[in-house]
Order: sequence, then structure tokens, then C-alpha cells
Amino acid sequence: MRRKSLGRPYLTIVEELIKFVLSIFLLSVLVFTLSRLAPGDPLYAYYGDRVEKMSMEEQETARERLGLQESIPVQYVRWIKGAVRGDFGISYQYKRDVKEVIAGRLGNTLLLGGLGFIIIFVLALFLGLFCARREDQRADRVVCGIGTLTSCIPDFWLSLLLILVFSVWLRWLPGSGAYSVGAEGSLADRGRHLILPLSVVVLGHLWYYAYLVRNRLLEETRADYVLLARMKGLSGKQVLYRHCLRNALPSYLSMMAIAFPHILGGTYVAETVFSYPGIGTLAYESARYQDYNLLMVVSLLTGSMVILGNLAAKLLNGRIDPRMRLKTGAFKEEAERW
Amino acid sequence: MDVLTVKDLSVSFYRESGEIEAVKHVSFSLRAGEILVIMGDTGCGKSVLCKSILKLLPDIAKIKTGQIFLQGKEITHYTEKEMQKLRGTVFSMVFQNPMTALNPCMSVGAQIAEAVRLRNPELSRRERQDRVINLLELVGIDHPGERAGQYPFQLSGGMAQRCVIAIALAADPAVLFADEPTTSLDVGVQSQVLELLLELRKKLGMAVIFITHNPEVAAQMADRAALMRDGELYRIGDAEEIFGKTIPNNCGRID
Ligand SMILES: Nc1ncnc2c1ncn2[C@@H]1O[C@H](COP(=O)(O)OP(=O)(O)O)[C@@H](O)[C@H]1O
Ligand SMILES: [Mg+2]
Repeated sequence: MRRKSLGRPYLTIVEELIKFVLSIFLLSVLVFTLSRLAPGDPLYAYYGDRVEKMSMEEQETARERLGLQESIPVQYVRWIKGAVRGDFGISYQYKRDVKEVIAGRLGNTLLLGGLGFIIIFVLALFLGLFCARREDQRADRVVCGIGTLTSCIPDFWLSLLLILVFSVWLRWLPGSGAYSVGAEGSLADRGRHLILPLSVVVLGHLWYYAYLVRNRLLEETRADYVLLARMKGLSGKQVLYRHCLRNALPSYLSMMAIAFPHILGGTYVAETVFSYPGIGTLAYESARYQDYNLLMVVSLLTGSMVILGNLAAKLLNGRIDPRMRLKTGAFKEEAERW
Repeated sequence: MDVLTVKDLSVSFYRESGEIEAVKHVSFSLRAGEILVIMGDTGCGKSVLCKSILKLLPDIAKIKTGQIFLQGKEITHYTEKEMQKLRGTVFSMVFQNPMTALNPCMSVGAQIAEAVRLRNPELSRRERQDRVINLLELVGIDHPGERAGQYPFQLSGGMAQRCVIAIALAADPAVLFADEPTTSLDVGVQSQVLELLLELRKKLGMAVIFITHNPEVAAQMADRAALMRDGELYRIGDAEEIFGKTIPNNCGRID
């Protein structure tokens, strides 16, 4: 009875929250266990090559000090006890609090990934509409051809090509880093450093989504309601924008939710190739050098971003599609404005 | 006076597999204010015939021969722009399945209002809303103010078809095409919708091309009837002549 009186929207929020916490918890167990089972010695992350000069006893003490001697479950319990208090330990590589290490990089990744996501989101819609309006005409075929070509080029290959052309040959743009030494505060400098990695993120993903939009819209143009709309005297273009787009939009949004991890992954690749100081490079380094504490937070952060992206899309979706709105309880029974 | 005249109309689909002749040398004329029933089995070309008059066929379909006259004026080779001016003003259409014919993401009020706006752009928002309510009342929907705010999925099939009819009437058409408007409805609702169409025709005086494969429905609706088979219109005449006075079920076999 009490559950019922809470009402559907609250219930959904509570449900989603529980799901979120559970997923993150499971993810933490998984990453924790796997990272420790993977071959490699975390002492290298901490001491570098000096490990080889250390005696057995010295190594033992070091391990004990880092808490690496106990069994995995014991280590995990200790980790999670700290984690709920906001203490995620120190990074072995950077010898600083993990939170500090990440805080210095998160902005860079959000800038690159966020900009990439927004550009892809808008351009894909635009290109999809452009092609759908000209189905099978020359313009559509040309764009489809170019699109297919760009999406066939692997990200790292494209990155190398761009670096070669724009920073080695033409010397127009920097090929690595997020800013020049001594120009940390300059927006123009940051922008210049963003262009190449951003191009890789966008070019690597754009066509995939634009093509989906195109096909989704064309599917809509075959629907029955299109005939009725045209019988009102609307032109094909008007029907596409006023009717088909509206129907394709909810599924585009949920598609972009699934796109979020995909594009984030692309950001990580671009970061690594361009030595761009972001979460992606950290993810790569921490996994490679058994920097356990750092790896945990990077994984959980990435996981949270993915889940939250999905959730946001679901909520948005529920606002646009009246059928979804009914399901999520956001639908008001009284008459809608028209 | 004939509102619509079709002479020797042939329509083919051109696919990679070859030419499909969907409509062959069809001629008929539609008189002002009458209901002309076009009857024939599924797949005989009824829908293609009416979509070819309205130029709603995909690009692979071409008019091969023939002419179409609207109120004495030839419209056979009208461009898409010119057709857009006729659709929603002179021509309207009611579809077979109202649940898919309505846009699932728009309230029915908004969909009717859109048709009103295209027909009468001079109306203010207020006047347009009044017109929508009037149309909903005209097609026999109770509490039109509340219904207008609802979405297609909240309506029954019969209710949705009434809304589609309201959209068609927003045009104040000279010719209404009704392509199997009751085929997807429950039997009880079917007769209500047929009654409604008869009543509206009387009230508004438009001519109706009514398509069906059901002889009983045909006999109930027809002033005149045309019979189709395999893309050919092989017989046309007054209802009495075609259906006889008594057993409409035989009509399919009359030659
Ligand atoms: N899109 C299409 N492509 C190819 N052929 C079609 C298409 N639409 C209709 N046809 C052909 O036209 C014929 C008549 O179809 P239609 O007019 O829809 O029949 P009905 O009398 O049931 O309304 C079909 O049998 C089919 O061969
Ligand atoms: Mg049909």
C-alpha cells in the first residue's frame, strides 16, 4: 500500500538508483578481482625499475605497506570500506591521492568527449536528414559513399594520418598534448590542441550514426501516417521534418545513449594516440602498470558515465514519446496542449 | 456535372523483376455529390487506382496511358507542387487502418489542427481550435475538448477512424477517397462509421469514391458501383443495376 502511494515517478527514480548502485558494486568487484589476477607486478608502478635492485625483504615490506599481501577478498573489503568514506587510496605511479590525479584529467576528457558527442549528435541528425530527403539521388549517394569510406578507416590510422599531414608536414596544429608548456591558460592554445583528437573522435563515429538516422527516417517515410500527412497538403520535406523526425527522435535518443560508451571508447583511443592527458590515457597506463587504485576509480567513473548516459536518454525518451510517458508515469491524463 | 473523370488510365510499377500492370485502361466518372463504390478482390488495383489519381504512388509507379480531369480541367501531368494544392483542399482521403494512419506521436487535436491550418491559414489560433472542436462534433465524438488532447493509442479503432474522417473533412473536400475505411474495424463499429459517412455526405454534399472488397458494404453505400478485377474496371452502373434489389452477395459473379 505504501509503495503505491509513492506514485510511479518516485518509484522509477528509486528503482533506477538501486540499479545504479548495484551495477557499480558488481563492476567494482569484477575489476578489483580481474586486475589482481592479471599478470604483472604493481611494485613496478610504484618503484619503476628500482624494483630489480631491491632485496626480497625490501619487496616484501613494500608489498605489506601497500596492503598487497592479503587475500583478494580481504583487500576488497578494505578497499570498499575506504571507498564509501571517499578514500580511494593513492596511485602507485603518481604517488598521490587517486582523486587528485583524476581531477587533473577529468576536465580534459569531458571537454574532448563532450564536444565530440555533441558534434556527432548534431551532425549525424543533420546528415541523416540531408540524405533521407534525397534518398537515392546523387547527393545522397555521394555522402553515403564518403561516409562509408571514413568509417572504414581505423581510428589510430586516421590519427596518424592527421598527425602526419597537419602537424608534421603542414605544421599547422600540434600533434600531442592538451596545451603547450607555458600557455596553460590560453583558450586558443587549448582549442588548437583539441582540433586533431576531436576530428578523430568525430570522423570515426559520425557516419555510423548519420547512416542510422538516415535509415530510421526512411523507414518512417514508409509509414502509413505519411500518406495521411501528405493528403493534408504537406510537401515531402514538411512531412519529413514535422512528422517523421518527431517519430524517429525517441529512438535516436536511445541510440545515442548506447552511443555514449562507444564514443567514450573512441575518445580513449584518440587520447592515447595524441598523448592527450585525460582519463583514457590514465585507463591505459593504470591497466598496463597495475596501478590498482587508479584503475578502480577510472573504471568506476567510466562505468558511471555510461550508466548515467543511458539513464538520461531514457528519461528524455520518456518525455518525447507519449507511449513511453504513459509507462514512466510522466503522462498526465488530462488533455495535452495542442 | 462530373467532378472527376478518368479516361483510359493505366498504371504500372517498374521493378527490377519487370513491369507490374496494376491498373489497366480504367475509365469512369464521378458525379458531384454521389458515392461511387469501387469493388473488387484484394490486390485487384483499387488502392493503386486511387493513389494514382492523387499522385501518392512511389517513383517506381508510372501512369502509362490515360487522362484525369478534375472539374473539367486536366490534372494528369500536374507537378507535385500543383498536387499539394489539391490535396487537403479538393481531395481528401480516409484510410484503411486509422491506428497507423494517425501519427502516433501527436495528439489528435494537433493533427486535425494541422489540416485546418493548411486549409485555412487565415484563421487565428482560437478560431482554429474552435474549428477542430466543430469537426470532432461533426464526426460524432463526445467531449471533443478532452478527446483532442489524446493520442491515437488512447483511442479505440472506431474513435480513431472518426478522427481520420475529421482530418479529411477539415479540407472541406469536393472528392473524398475512402479506401476500405471499415475493413480494420470491429463489425459493430463498422456500421456506425458507414452510417456516419452516409450522413456526412448528405450534410456536406461531397462526392465520395468508396473502395471496398465487401459486397454488403458496397450495396449499403453505393449510389453507383464499379467492379474491378485484375486491374481492369469491367463494369460500372447504378447500384440497383449492379447489385439487384435483393441479394447483394451475388454481385461478384455478375458479368
Ligand atoms: N509498391 C508496389 N510495388 C509493386 N507492385 C505493387 C506495389 N503496390 C501495389 N502493387 C501491385 O498492384 C496491385 C494492386 O494493389 P492494390 O491496389 O494495393 O490492391 P487493392 O485492390 O487490394 O487495394 C498488387 O497486386 C501489386 O501487384
Ligand atoms: Mg487496398
